[in-house]
Amino acid sequence: MEKSEPKKFVVPIGPQHPALKEPGHFEFEVDGEIVTGATARFGYVHRGIEKGAETRSWIQAMYLLERVCGICSHVHATAFALGAEKLAKVTVPPRAQAIRVLVGELERLHSHMLWLGVAVHEAGFDTLFMYSWRDREIVMDLLEGLTGNRVNYSANVLGGVKIDVDDKQRDDILKGLEVLEQRAQYYLKVVTTDETFLGRTRGIGTMTYEQAELLGAVGPTGRASGVKRDVRVEAPYAAYPDFPVNLITDTRGDLEARFVVRIKELFEAIRIIREILDKMPTGEIQTKMPRRVPEGETISRVEAPRGELLYYIRSAGGDKPDRVKVRTPSLCNWGSVLTTAVGHKLADMPMILSGIDPCFSCNDRAAIIRRPDQPAQAWDWESLRLHGIEYYKR
Amino acid sequence: MNTLFALIALMIFPGGLFVLFAGLVYEWADRKLVAQFQNRIGPRVFQPLADVIKLLAKEEVVPVGVNGFLFMALPIAALAATLTAALYVPVVGLAPAYSFRGDLIVTIYLLSVLTLCIGVAGANTADRFSLIGATRTLTQVFSYEAPFMLAMLGPAIMAGSWQISEINAYAASKPWLIIPQVIGFLVALVGLMGKLELPPFDAPEAETEIVAGAMTEYSGRGYAIFRIAKDVELVIGLTLVAAFYLGGIGNPLEFLLKTVVLLLVTAGLQSLFARLRIDQTVGMWWRVGALLALLNLLVLVGLRMLGWLGVWL
Repeated sequence: MEKSEPKKFVVPIGPQHPALKEPGHFEFEVDGEIVTGATARFGYVHRGIEKGAETRSWIQAMYLLERVCGICSHVHATAFALGAEKLAKVTVPPRAQAIRVLVGELERLHSHMLWLGVAVHEAGFDTLFMYSWRDREIVMDLLEGLTGNRVNYSANVLGGVKIDVDDKQRDDILKGLEVLEQRAQYYLKVVTTDETFLGRTRGIGTMTYEQAELLGAVGPTGRASGVKRDVRVEAPYAAYPDFPVNLITDTRGDLEARFVVRIKELFEAIRIIREILDKMPTGEIQTKMPRRVPEGETISRVEAPRGELLYYIRSAGGDKPDRVKVRTPSLCNWGSVLTTAVGHKLADMPMILSGIDPCFSCNDRAAIIRRPDQPAQAWDWESLRLHGIEYYKR
Repeated sequence: MNTLFALIALMIFPGGLFVLFAGLVYEWADRKLVAQFQNRIGPRVFQPLADVIKLLAKEEVVPVGVNGFLFMALPIAALAATLTAALYVPVVGLAPAYSFRGDLIVTIYLLSVLTLCIGVAGANTADRFSLIGATRTLTQVFSYEAPFMLAMLGPAIMAGSWQISEINAYAASKPWLIIPQVIGFLVALVGLMGKLELPPFDAPEAETEIVAGAMTEYSGRGYAIFRIAKDVELVIGLTLVAAFYLGGIGNPLEFLLKTVVLLLVTAGLQSLFARLRIDQTVGMWWRVGALLALLNLLVLVGLRMLGWLGVWL
């Protein structure tokens, strides 16, 4: 027992903690139950994917990048494929683009329902957690029926898609959506009317529009604070120009608003999927993609379920990408967590944390920590390489 | 002969082994019901027993910075208190093994010892999750204990006795006491859930915030004993509420039916709500629970003095 002068009482959460599904480390300074400071540390699951992509061919790199995230795998492959196709000046057939969007929206359904389960579990509302994960099985089955896989669907190839949608699959999807729509109505009713649950979400973790703009919040997190930003609307990619998306925003910015925005996005996704199935373009689903991509660089932006996903792709004209930089939406939203956490109760922390739908493993990139006793340093490629060799020698 | 009877009553039936196993069965029923309400399958019938045996077989790690004696003794004290309480309540519908004037108050205190032990056990360790859990446990004690006691006093006042067996007999001879005292019944049942830290009152052991709360540092034997103590308290609590409010308990069948109905209600409540924050729990109990229970009691006392209790007199 410590008997020295009163120290700050720090509650560590992670890297291993029941609230976290992935390793991350948070330190909350608390005064009683009130949080007075919050810090976060990541990097426990850095996998060197960007570097790995440089050593693989364009086709192989796409499969690697699809594994950046286990939840929103399809958008990563889509972002990379769109960027590579832009560099190679390949025009993808409209049917392929429509199928990309179709799978992407199904993935959004499954991702948002997964989040709903996790977030209500953090609030101790296990019944809704079990219900939403049970219903999520429907969309998982649909994805499996469509692509053969429950996660990492591999629907994309460079120059199109691998899978086509036949009439039976179309009927299955429509039938599944009927159920999902009813369930989403039910969730919306629960999260907006259940008294005990509202006690945990209403007015908690409120982020104003100004804060959201300042901190650069993206995706549903930002939209819940009234930030009118959605790549599908601002810069439609793939088949989104033909199937426009309605922007869903809320102005309250608290946890309840984030629930409402994400559940309303379920309805929007269902609407888009129905529209695509209704007006599916005919024709080819693939086009020829050259093995070598001409020299150049591009930025590819897509809207992942968690927000804007950005890929920077540079080609040196070879059969391998010269540089791939991934910026996942979770990275943009951390600031909002650490800012809104202060002043809330410790019991609200898991809710605020999961409110942005964080994906730790996806945003782990190499990071350099600047110690106070060391000058700021820039690392060039060679010293980084040597550091890596030294690090693993130990 | 008398000593033999006392030993059997203490060690085997109705105290001791019997309530231990009854506790495990009720824990299973509770988990199974909640699982079914949540659309899960739930554990098999021997799962709680298997858990306990596994925990008992495990090494008990005494962490650095704790008082070793307290660390070992607290679970045993908690179990001893709940087992002692079992002697004064009509478990299985038989007359309590021991009975004296005022045993209701003793039983209520014995039931609080468990929570107190958990709180002290958490405060004993240097672990931060345990400390917060202990603070929350003890905070919660102060919120539900008074209303729960008031709710238990309602039937006692109507019966004009502080003896559990007499109240039980009184409740059995009259129409169910839940009819004039709905508020008291609800407060007693919800208070019992607070005592047992069942959802939505599980803030003291909210796993997504503070891992296992005050129990975080416990593994092996200590944890197993705390769990058994909780299970025993579940049985005793359900028995008390059923005996007082659901028309007394006179035979094993009655005991089974009434406690299972109560368990059904508590399981439903457990799966209906999101976890309350500790400040919400305290606020709810003192703003609503305590006031309602007090009002309930005052009305009862008034009616009794005026002699307007009708059939319940």
